[in-house]
Amino acid sequence: MSSNCTSSAPISASKTKTKKKHFIGQKVKLFRASEPILSVLMWGVNHTVNELSNVPVPVMLMPDDFKAYSKIKVDNHLFNKENLPSRFKFKEYCPMVFRNLRERFCIDDQDYQNSLTRSAPLNSDSQGRFGNRFLSSYDHRFVIKTVSSEDIAEMHNILKKYHQFIVECHGNTLLPQFLGMYRLTVDGVETYMVVTRNVFSHRLTVHRKYDLKVGCHYKLHALFSKEAKELPTFKDNDFLNEGQKLQIGDDNKKYFLEKLKRDVEFLATLKIMDYSLLVGIHDVDRAEQEEMDVEGTGEEDEYENDGMGGGVLTGSFGTPPDSPGNPLNCGGFFGPGEFDPSVDVYAIKSHDSAVKKEVYFMAIIDILTHYDAKKKAAHAAKTVKHGAGAEISTVNPEQYSKRFYEFMSNILS
Amino acid sequence: MASASSIASAIASKTKTKKKHFVAQKVKLFRASDPLLSVLMWGVNHSINELSHVQIPIMLMPDDFKAYSKIKVDNHLFNKENMPSHFKFKEYCPLVFRNLRERFGIDDLDFLNSLTRSAPLNSEAQGRSGARFHTSCDKRYVIKTISSEDVAEMHNILKKYHQFIVECHGNTLLPQFLGMYRLTVDGDETYMIVTRNVFSHRLSVYKKYDLKGSTVAREASDKEKPPPPEDVPPRPKSGNVQQRLQTLRIATRFYCAMKHVRDAKELPTYKDNDFINDGQKIYIDEENKKMFLEKLRKDVEFLAQLKLMDYSLLVGIHDVERAEQEEVESEDNEAEEEGESDGGGIGTPPDSPSNTLDSTKPLSPGEFDPSIDVYAIKCKESAPRKEVYFMAVIDILQHYDAKKKAAHAAKTVKHGAGAEISTVNPEQYSKRFYDFITTILS
Repeated sequence: MSSNCTSSAPISASKTKTKKKHFIGQKVKLFRASEPILSVLMWGVNHTVNELSNVPVPVMLMPDDFKAYSKIKVDNHLFNKENLPSRFKFKEYCPMVFRNLRERFCIDDQDYQNSLTRSAPLNSDSQGRFGNRFLSSYDHRFVIKTVSSEDIAEMHNILKKYHQFIVECHGNTLLPQFLGMYRLTVDGVETYMVVTRNVFSHRLTVHRKYDLKVGCHYKLHALFSKEAKELPTFKDNDFLNEGQKLQIGDDNKKYFLEKLKRDVEFLATLKIMDYSLLVGIHDVDRAEQEEMDVEGTGEEDEYENDGMGGGVLTGSFGTPPDSPGNPLNCGGFFGPGEFDPSVDVYAIKSHDSAVKKEVYFMAIIDILTHYDAKKKAAHAAKTVKHGAGAEISTVNPEQYSKRFYEFMSNILS
Repeated sequence: MASASSIASAIASKTKTKKKHFVAQKVKLFRASDPLLSVLMWGVNHSINELSHVQIPIMLMPDDFKAYSKIKVDNHLFNKENMPSHFKFKEYCPLVFRNLRERFGIDDLDFLNSLTRSAPLNSEAQGRSGARFHTSCDKRYVIKTISSEDVAEMHNILKKYHQFIVECHGNTLLPQFLGMYRLTVDGDETYMIVTRNVFSHRLSVYKKYDLKGSTVAREASDKEKPPPPEDVPPRPKSGNVQQRLQTLRIATRFYCAMKHVRDAKELPTYKDNDFINDGQKIYIDEENKKMFLEKLRKDVEFLAQLKLMDYSLLVGIHDVERAEQEEVESEDNEAEEEGESDGGGIGTPPDSPSNTLDSTKPLSPGEFDPSIDVYAIKCKESAPRKEVYFMAVIDILQHYDAKKKAAHAAKTVKHGAGAEISTVNPEQYSKRFYDFITTILS
């Protein structure tokens, strides 16, 4: 499948469908990682994608698919101990649904599998709102977030409507692209993970990052601001203070706001709130400068491993002449500030007359907080503090979505 | 089959590239008539895939002979069409059997394809104890359902068996053990062992013999009878052919307690008696005979050392003319017996992917690829009929001590404690066996 997804037409459920011929250099995947949980994640994604390759693609999803799961328990004895724990469990939620979502988001299952299994996912500096752990696939295309079991429950609640929304907007949305949901059990400890498409680029570095929310909780956010090591996440307060504007031009702005409107309305109908707009800014000139510095020392920051067993350098140095047609690396040569919009789907270039030459990455994140759950918790807290009958003055999802939308439209020009 | 790009480094590097396999990604549904077969297909598929992520060690370690991999699947509302929702699959000593496959010249991916492209087929063959048989869809491998005692015995002999295979470079008439599994479906455990098919995957066998060379005092009929006490009659001292034939004529097989009724189906298994009475002969030339008997001698010596006995020589005969006739008939009926386009009959479709299973050139009648049909021996030039013989040793898992114990227990019940056991011992069995086979080859 080429990186352009032209239509989402269903594929007939023929029994011996021949999939596209994949020329795979059979590199031994060892699932080697610094931690057993990462090895299990790699093993699990490898396994589940392989399993799915033996299940015919249905014409359409059925209600049962939204309740389904696949579970596997491994118990090895004196075998394969080098990289994997001897005992572990791996559960995938709603495999057919997420396969369908991956298809609608134009992600080929083999590529998805390769991204997550060729090399171990990397720890990400960014921390989630409540200290959730983030990982990124080694090629930076996907983000793996550790979530709670409540998040899993919430995902199940919204999954049908979310899927329907994705069908209707043809995958064209700023909402998180949910690609897989898993539960890993290692040493008796259960960890839940959700895989989404990376908002930022897999290639272009992000120099400044903002997590923008509005609402009465923004003050709380300032209190909770966590400084990550290299890349601090600024909040809306910082954004306003700096007088930042994202100069993307009228067309881009219009297009962006259309999507945003649809998305926040959808979230409001689901009574979801407290989501953020994640904004990343790539400074083209600065990146060029950085690259020249690095070239001087003969190293490259970004490299892709395309299965030839060694690093393949994209961007500056081009691809080796005989590298197999890895769809991940097609059209290898990109100039400064350039990107492949089918891979970096959230990227927007600054318009030509902008002050600075930049590339922006913007999308909505953290959409799993449900109003009722919040209210219940807040109410309980208030009752403890002020006694029963105290009023809750919380913003509701409708209000939240309106405020959110207005704030975002103001920061774009 | 070899792709030149295989990097033959034995050093355990992290990113070792295996030979590039161009595989058209056909969806494998593991569809079968029996959930057990689906689980078998799934399990073999899984096990070979798992092994592809484990580095091939330079040599096997003692732990490898005690190892196993176990997997338990529990699906809910997913993949229900062809697989049961709950099942378990256990593979014994995965690294050992991978090594054995390699030594027997079997590529893991080919092995995988044979067992998973299409469901294994029920085989009419019945084992000694009524064991169930299947063959892979391409007839290269036989899957036998065995008991947990057999699995234990396999574990006991595995190290020495492996060593023997190393020493003879895979050149043996013993069963080629290629994989051993335990499947659990609906709470029932089934043990299975995969071996290379003694017979050809292409050439049909029209007559089959199971020969042990044992002699007992009484004639046994084909019907089941309680096993008579077995005494070794004094062997005729002179080499008088007539006398020997006489002895053999009155000799009967030693039937196991659960000996099956003569198979009324397509290919009955004949025994020693029938072989003699039919006047059956194996016409192979001196060189083949010499090579064969050398292998056999080494093999039975090995078995005697391990105190194994009650094995048989399985003999299959392919009649070339008869097969040609049958093929003409079946072509007329436009029903092809062979499912795989392996170059035998009609040829391969022009754009079929280069399946390494397919030989590159079509084979003429009576011809075979000795790297696949490893047990095949052509008849000698002066044979009355053009035939191909398939001969190998089977059923090697019966240990003398286990037998003795059982027999002793039975005798004690019948005759009281202290009764003597007069059973042939493995050494004697091997000699008798070898001598009998030598005789039939002359």
